[in-house]
Formats: sequence, C-alpha cells, structure tokens
Amino acid sequence: MKLLTATTRYYLGLTLGLFALASLLLYAGFDWALRHEVEELLYNRQLHVQQQVARGLALPDPAYADNLDRSFQPLPLGYSDTLLLDPVEQEMVPHRQLTFRLQPVSAASAPEWVTVRKSLVETEDVLAVVVGVLGVVLALLLGGVVALNHWFSQRLWLPFRQTLVALRGYDLQHHRALGLPASSIDEFRELNQALNMLSERLVRDYESLRQFTENAAHETQTPLAIIQAKLEQLLQAPALQEDEQLATVLGDALGGAQRLSRLHQALTLLTRLENHQFAPTQAVPVALDQLLRERITLLEPLLEARGILLAWRVDSPPPALTMHAGLADSLLQNLLHNAIKHNHSGGRVDVQLTSRFLEISNTGPAIKGDPTQFFERFRKQNAASTSPGLGLSIAQHICAYYGFSITYAFTEAESRHLLRVQFA
Amino acid sequence: MKLLLVEDEEALRLTLVDSLRQGGYVVEVAATFAQAYEKVRLYQYDCVLVDLTLPDGDGLDIVRTLKADGSAAGVLVLTARDGLDDRVRGLDLGADDYLTKPFHLSELNARLRALLRRRQFQGQHHIVFRDLLVWPELAEVYVRGEPLTLTRKEYDLLLYFLANPGRLLTKEAVAEHLCGDQIDAADSFDFIYTHMKNLRKKLQEKGADGYIRTIYGVGYKLATEDAR
Repeated sequence: MKLLTATTRYYLGLTLGLFALASLLLYAGFDWALRHEVEELLYNRQLHVQQQVARGLALPDPAYADNLDRSFQPLPLGYSDTLLLDPVEQEMVPHRQLTFRLQPVSAASAPEWVTVRKSLVETEDVLAVVVGVLGVVLALLLGGVVALNHWFSQRLWLPFRQTLVALRGYDLQHHRALGLPASSIDEFRELNQALNMLSERLVRDYESLRQFTENAAHETQTPLAIIQAKLEQLLQAPALQEDEQLATVLGDALGGAQRLSRLHQALTLLTRLENHQFAPTQAVPVALDQLLRERITLLEPLLEARGILLAWRVDSPPPALTMHAGLADSLLQNLLHNAIKHNHSGGRVDVQLTSRFLEISNTGPAIKGDPTQFFERFRKQNAASTSPGLGLSIAQHICAYYGFSITYAFTEAESRHLLRVQFA
Repeated sequence: MKLLLVEDEEALRLTLVDSLRQGGYVVEVAATFAQAYEKVRLYQYDCVLVDLTLPDGDGLDIVRTLKADGSAAGVLVLTARDGLDDRVRGLDLGADDYLTKPFHLSELNARLRALLRRRQFQGQHHIVFRDLLVWPELAEVYVRGEPLTLTRKEYDLLLYFLANPGRLLTKEAVAEHLCGDQIDAADSFDFIYTHMKNLRKKLQEKGADGYIRTIYGVGYKLATEDAR
C-alpha cells in the first residue's frame, strides 16, 4: 500500500466519523431549536386565546379557525405530537399540539379544553435543507482530499521517486557515487544526503579493494617469476639430477609455483573484467571461426592422449563480433578446456559455431549440484584437482562483458553436457 | 650472439643472465629504462629482451625506439602484466615475440632460438647435435645422414629440446610448449608421454639411442653425451 493511500484512508475515516457525529448533533440541535420555536408559538397562542376569553370575547370557531380545537371532554394537558390529515394534500402530516384548560368566565359555563396545533412540515423542510447542504459539503471535501493526494503524490513525492530510480539503477562498478540532488523537503534531503554518503563510502571502499587486488596481482607475479626461474636453475644442478627424491621435491615445488601463478592470472583477469578495464577501443572485429580452428589445433595432442574425438563445424556466415582479441581467445580456451577436462577417455566433444551462437557439448559423468553454481569461482568437480576451477567463471564474465548469454544444460540419456553462448 | 636484457628485478635478472650465458650468449644488462635507452642507441644487439614494467619508463618505448631506429635486433617482450592487451600492443609495435611472467627458462631459450633463426638469413642455418643434423628452414632432420620423418609436434618437440641441450625440462614446461598456452586442463600430462615415446622410438630406430633421458617424476633432458 502506498504511503499516500494509507494516510488518505486514515484521513477519510476520521473525516467521515467527525462528519457523522457533527451531522447528528446538528440535526438534534436544529430539531430541538425548531421544536422549541414551535412550542413558544403555541404557548403564545394559548396566552392570546386566554386573554381573549378573559376579555369576554368569543373563541374563534374551530370550523374557521385554523388549528384550533375545542372540547368539553377533559384532555391530557401539555405538549404532544400528533398526525393529522391534511385535507388538501390528502396525507398525514405531523403536528405539535398544546392542550390547555380554559378557565370558565362564569360559574355557569362548563369548563373547556382547547388544543392549538402547528404543522411541523416546515421545520422538516428546514432540516432537510441543512442536512442536504452538509452532505454536499462532505462530498466536496472528500473529493478535495483525493485530488490533493493525487497532486501530492505527483509533486511532493517526486524527489523520493527520483531517489528510488537512482538507487535501482546504481551500479558500483561504474565507480561513481550516487550524486542525488538536495530536495527542498527536509526528510528527503536528509535521505539523499545519507544515501550519498553511503555510496561515496562504498565507492571508496570498492576502489581501495580494487587497487589492492590490482597491486597484489602485479606485485606477486614478479616474485613468482623469480621463484620459478630459481627453481628451474636449481633443477639444472648435476648433483640433483642424480638424486631422484630431491628432484621430485623440487619438481613439486616448481609445479606449486606454477599453479599459483596460473591462479593469479585467472583472478587478475576476472578482476579486470569486473572492473571494466578493457577499453572499448581495444575491441576489434574478431574472426571467431579462425580462432576456434587455432585453438583446436593447439589442443590436438591433449585430445589424442585422452582418446577424445572432437568434431566441429562452422555454419557460414561466421559470427561478426567486435571484441577484445585476447578475451575472445580466452573464452574459447576456457570452454574447450572445460569440455575436455570433464570428459572421460574415449568421449566426444562437439562444437558448433553459427552467426548467432556457439555450442560446445561433451560427454562426461553427471555432475551433482545446482547447474547455476557451475559458473561460480573455485567450483571444482573433484576437490583434488589441481585446476583452480575458474574457467567457467571467466567464460561467464567474458560473456557478460559483451552481453552474451551463456547457458548450461545436461541431457541424462546421453550423459551430455551442453554449454551454449548466445551472441547478443 | 649478443643480447641485451632489460629487467629491473635483480633476482630475476641474475637468474636470466646465468641461464642465457650457459646457453652460450653474450649478455649485457640494463636495470632501468634510462640505461636500456642509452644502450640501444649506442650498440647493436642481435636480440633485445625487454621487461615492460620498468621503474622509470615503459618498456614498450624501448621497442618503439628500436623500430624507429630501424634496428635489426629481434625484440622479445617479457611482461609481468597480465598480457592480454600489452601483448597485442607489443606485437603491433614490432616486438617479435612475448613471454608472460612467470615463464620457463627453457621456453625462453626455445623462443630466443626461433626468433634469432627467423631474423638471420645469412650464414649457416643448420643445427648440429651429436649425430643429429637439423635444417630448420626445410624442417628436415637427419641422423648420421639418414633422413628422419617426424610429425609436426614431434619435430617441434625436438627443436625445443635442441634449444635446451643438457637442461632438465619439466613436464609442465614441455606441455606448455606443446599446447602453446598455460594448460590447466592437462592435470595429467599423458599427452606428453605419447609424443615423447614416439619421438624416442623414431630416434632409436635410426640409431640415436638415449638422447632424451627421463628424469623420473620431474621431466626430460636432452643428453649432451652418451650416458652409457
């Protein structure tokens, strides 16, 4: 529920309640006042009649006098309500009446009861007008509230909406703080200030983290290169080559250094991709079909040794992609390595490249776990594997970098893994 | 063969110099951009090995200078940066080859050999090693005068060994050389065995027995003399 809807509801509820109460009070008040007026009028008539009688004048004849009744039967005294038939309108009309006893002028004459009446039709009309006017005012007021809220939501809440849009579209990787404008409304200004500060701090932290990663990556490669070169030199010592055990130890150390360096390069590449550090100016038209051919040729010894059959075809026209040549190469390399790595000996790899997609499918045992997690970093099928498990993550990042979509599917029947890269 | 090695990291520089001198090269060194710049302007080299990240300048500027001077020297770029773009830039500028740190010394030897071979068209062009005679331009190999037929990979492998005589080459280095890249897919190095086995068998058939020795658990070595 919108904040405005909520406030409008409360407002309407309160207004309606107050209005009903006010209407009741007003009705009762008017009713009382009007009746009081009628009663006063009747009392005046009573006095008038009594004075006339006291002066010895005759009472008006009920047949001609309006709203006056005479009776020699005792009647209950005082005010009361009654309904009388209006001879003209032919309907029952509410009246207020006052009955009093006329003091006989002489002892001879019998006591007489006189009733004076007053129609209440006019007072009801007045009430109807009052309540009607009140109803119209209520309707206008409610309509006004709704209209005002509409206007509020369009004008007053605009800065809030803008802030929301800015927040939704915020991407830390653009390395920019939010930069929300100052609003004339205090609450919104404070909100924007707080958000601006938050995003500035985020950008600062992110930037320092990025710098650290970059420096760490750069600074680590050199010592690694030294370790590797020194170990290799050490391996050349004649004494060492005679000592199988020692040579193995050194060889293992060298292998470890190489793994670390490879891991490092992969992570650096991922970081650079995430930081958008490949300038668009470096993107060139890439002949993916040719790159694919080169990559496959390089992998031939590996395929041969594992007895894996690789079949590939390029449907013309090949895709016309503009991307960083190194990244295109890395994408193919990682996908192909993946297809070979998770294969079994004597298996198959099928590669198909068209103008719209690249599809690489390979045989291999079913993989446990959630397929969407295969693209996560350090995801390994075999924990003992020396591979860091970054290949698919790199492939995914390269795809995301150029707006390609990469999907994974597994067909149970053939035990086949399929990776498909859809070019934009 | 006279080389200039431009590398600011002392430990690495010393190791490289050692290794290159063992390979029979005359090596001069420059630790800074300024030194390197002075040397390439003053002297002639057969090949210049340039590290791209120098404390006082960009190694690519050395490459530019060499090209602007019309130098005949080969250029091998060594980069600690995660290659990708520098690689492309370096080759565009006229570097002949690149190696991303960390690299195998044996790979450096092989690249250097190939580079120098490509650059020098005068003089003798064959490689002689014990009973082997190789004509790289023709891709022909002879054992005691008899031609030896090798597959492309086997030939490639032989040249790699010939560039590193007497050196222990690790399995990883051989695998990387063969597959052209850092091969993390090859958790096992099965595929080297196949090629090594075939190459050895062919050499053995022609009487060049025991040239390539296995150093168990580590790698291989091209024996400079008969072990028996």
